[in-house]
Amino acid sequence: MNFPAELKYSKDHEWLKMLDGTTALVGITDFAQSELGDLVFINLPQEGDEVTKEESFCDVESVKAVSDVMSPVDGVVAEVNSELEDEPQKLNEDPYGAWIAKIENISGYAELMDAAAYEAFVQK
Amino acid sequence: MSELKRTQLFDAHVAAGATMVDFGGWEMPIKYPTDIVAEHLYTRHACGIFDVSHMGRVMVEGSEAVPFLQHVLSSNVMALDLNQAQYAIIPNENGGAVDDAYLYRFEEDRYLLVVNAGNTDKDLVHLNEQIKKFDAKMTVITGDWAAIAVQGPKSKEILQVLSGGKALTEPVKNALNTLDFEGRTVRVAKTGYTGEPLGYEVYVESGESAWLWNRLIELGAKPAGLGARDTLRMEACLPLYGHDMGDDPEGKEIPIFAVPLAKFAVSFSEQKGNFIGREPLAKQYEAFKRIMSRDFSDLSVLPRRIMPITLLDRGVMRQGMPVYKGDKQIGFVTSGTMVPYYRHEGEGLQTVILEETAKRAIGLAYVDSDTLEDDEVQVDVRGRRLKAVIPPYHMRVDAPPFARPIIYRPDEEEAAAASGDRTPKALDLINRAVENHLWRQEKCINLIPSEMTASRAVRLLCASDPSFRYAEHKKVKSFYDADVFYYQGTEFIDEVEQLLVEEMKAFLGCAEVETRCISGQMSNTAVFSSLMDWKNRLDRKHDAKRLGYIMNNHIIKGGHLSAQPMGALHDYIAIDPVTERHALVNFPVCADNIYKIDVEETKKAIDQYRPEFIIFGKSMVLHKEPVAAIRKFVDEMGLQTTVMYDMAHVLGLVGDYFQKPFQEGAEIVTGSTHKTFFGPQRGVIGVNYKKGELKYGLWETIETRAFPGSVSNHHLGTQLGLLMAAYEMNHFKDAYQKAVVNNAKSFAKSLKAAGLDVAGDPANDYTETHQVIVNVGYGAGPDVAMRLERNNIICNYQATPEEEGFTASGALRIGVNEMTRFGFGPEEFDKLAQIMADCILRGKEVGEDVAKLRAAYTEMHYCFNENQVVDALNTLARKSGI
Repeated sequence: MNFPAELKYSKDHEWLKMLDGTTALVGITDFAQSELGDLVFINLPQEGDEVTKEESFCDVESVKAVSDVMSPVDGVVAEVNSELEDEPQKLNEDPYGAWIAKIENISGYAELMDAAAYEAFVQK
Repeated sequence: MSELKRTQLFDAHVAAGATMVDFGGWEMPIKYPTDIVAEHLYTRHACGIFDVSHMGRVMVEGSEAVPFLQHVLSSNVMALDLNQAQYAIIPNENGGAVDDAYLYRFEEDRYLLVVNAGNTDKDLVHLNEQIKKFDAKMTVITGDWAAIAVQGPKSKEILQVLSGGKALTEPVKNALNTLDFEGRTVRVAKTGYTGEPLGYEVYVESGESAWLWNRLIELGAKPAGLGARDTLRMEACLPLYGHDMGDDPEGKEIPIFAVPLAKFAVSFSEQKGNFIGREPLAKQYEAFKRIMSRDFSDLSVLPRRIMPITLLDRGVMRQGMPVYKGDKQIGFVTSGTMVPYYRHEGEGLQTVILEETAKRAIGLAYVDSDTLEDDEVQVDVRGRRLKAVIPPYHMRVDAPPFARPIIYRPDEEEAAAASGDRTPKALDLINRAVENHLWRQEKCINLIPSEMTASRAVRLLCASDPSFRYAEHKKVKSFYDADVFYYQGTEFIDEVEQLLVEEMKAFLGCAEVETRCISGQMSNTAVFSSLMDWKNRLDRKHDAKRLGYIMNNHIIKGGHLSAQPMGALHDYIAIDPVTERHALVNFPVCADNIYKIDVEETKKAIDQYRPEFIIFGKSMVLHKEPVAAIRKFVDEMGLQTTVMYDMAHVLGLVGDYFQKPFQEGAEIVTGSTHKTFFGPQRGVIGVNYKKGELKYGLWETIETRAFPGSVSNHHLGTQLGLLMAAYEMNHFKDAYQKAVVNNAKSFAKSLKAAGLDVAGDPANDYTETHQVIVNVGYGAGPDVAMRLERNNIICNYQATPEEEGFTASGALRIGVNEMTRFGFGPEEFDKLAQIMADCILRGKEVGEDVAKLRAAYTEMHYCFNENQVVDALNTLARKSGI
């Protein structure tokens, strides 16, 4: 299980990568993808969507079930990774490369965990 | 989780790192670390193994086992022969399903009923209540025997390692066998829940289950969990109780006839009597028939049906999602997911399955019964209305060994042909015909056993004037059976036909011959029609009774297509009311030589079925047919059986070097005139009934079923050509027939010596006919035949008696007849054997070698080559402008 040090993590198993003070990429963690199993579909948000911390902004589906992806922050969707529509398996293969959305005007990220805290969190 | 049950293989799943879940009260692997998508794909391209030991297994026996099963199942248990299985539904009194099940008959008097794990307790309560009325008992053996499903294109190969190479079962769905797997007794069923054309379920004693599981993995199979089992069965459109059967998402019971499989699983046979649910099911069946005829006036009994559904927009459908047509909700998704598949490219037999994969969102839906194939619908996927369509199916299995995903695409309209100048097209056609003629006649070596080039004399006569004419004629009793012609200008062709009849009588050695049918298949149709007419001759006031029982060679054992219910027997064979199948019994074949009829077993079958009609003859033929032995037995038994020999392939071999059918006791011989005979393409019927005999009436019926029953114009040009061919045959047959049989034996030995796997019995040099069968490896037949064609060798690939169908063919069918006529002898065939081995075994390009070998043998033998004849032919060609 991989926990890159430069990322921040939510308790809903999303990661956040700060691009500058107000913009960040978000995705699902290695732990999340391994729990979900083979992902076969992603229902991406749309550019301009306002997202709310700890509320669903996107969903992913495995063969067996659909799961909500919770936004780790408040903000506005600036860009989505539309490559994932054709290749949702990238979420399994490269969870930290396969960003889901770029969020701008973000707030509420101060409480997110760092890598060590998240690792301890999932091992509880 | 409280007290979950575990199968015999639980430890193996845990050790493999499976994710275990509660499934119907059992702790079962939903997936292994490989995950569902990979498990699905591996099953489709190689072999997945599934622990299905959680399924409820009940042994039913006792004097009233069959009446009991007839009472509680929807199917016709009387139709189940030893070593066969059948799908059945356990109906309730309302015509709904308690469960669905599979019934296996591995033993004469014991039936194994397999039901869904989650329903087992409920089923047992129901069945235990019902069995009280019968002298029968049920024993639950779920814990005694484990069950492993071995599914996918490699399954057969893998299991045959364990059987020591022995054939697993007959190569048809639902066939069973009891076998020895490396010292352990196993029961093997050609059944499964993945839709794979090659798939087996293996029952093994519990103590041996881990051994079998691990052996299968060693041999290349991979474990697959319940997740993949679900995606695989959905792609195959197989219903799952609790989804597509049982209760719908609103809690209403789904009628059994809403499920497409009901058509096969429900029987109203008289023998079945009044089984549970019969009355409501009969009503459903009436409604089903109306709906299938698109009469939607009364949908009350069957308001909705289970149909496949494919999502066109991006997304995934799940059970319970509403389906709409326009604004109206027409039903629900009952099963839905995203399934992976391998992409493919190319068309037809050239289709290549790629390594690249993709996914598609498919499922099954319970929708209003007036919904049609290709209807566009919408699915409410969590608030989004996504476009979907009702496809005919998600997958097809008629090109084994692979299941083929069918990706929905609407029909494309073909552009209408424009009018205009066709001269360039006409020229192109002529040029291409020249090219094709020269390629086939001068460069190619033709080894198709059902083909023969005709001599120049035959070809010229075929093209001469009678080819544009009619010569309908019929015997008239008022004129003492003289033939009366309906048209003028027919004197010549009248005489030709009479001469042809006489030549063919002499050749076949029989009393009467009919030459007007223009193909072997038409000859068979005329004979079958005549036999049925003859059977009903004394009662014209009722619908005519069809023929049955009929005994023939099974198509996968080399039987003629035209002597099958799917061929010329189609409209003439009865349905046995007990089994509700065609009244057909196949010749048993020898255990040690599947190309040969087993005479002693055949006698037993004749005694059991008392066939009214026996049809000898094959299209994949290495041996003489035991006509004399069976004739003798039929006579001793005092049966009124009509014995026919369809000699299509071996007509030109009738005589000292093969068989004399009428001397051996055949009553009717049919044949095509262009395989081992000298062409052109026509058919012939010979019978040995003489005036004054009862069955002479059958002969007269055959004449009227030829004309006006089958033909009006009977292709007079080729009839003229056939007379020449008959002269050639009767003149040259001794030398020709001897050379053909010798060449076949010699070629077989050369091919064997060159390293190829030649089928048949080495004791008689692998063949007694013009044919040689070469095994090239399971499923490799089409590829090898295409490679040979690129190298100027034309033969055809053929499924052997152990294979599933033509795309799974592992053999080449080769005939020496045409090249014998072009002068090939043992030496030339030996050279050819080396060339073929180079091409087949070593992938060498041999096209030039073949063309060179062929170029020296373009002159036709066994025909009249005297100067006088050549001159006369030149005159015919010149004067007729051909």
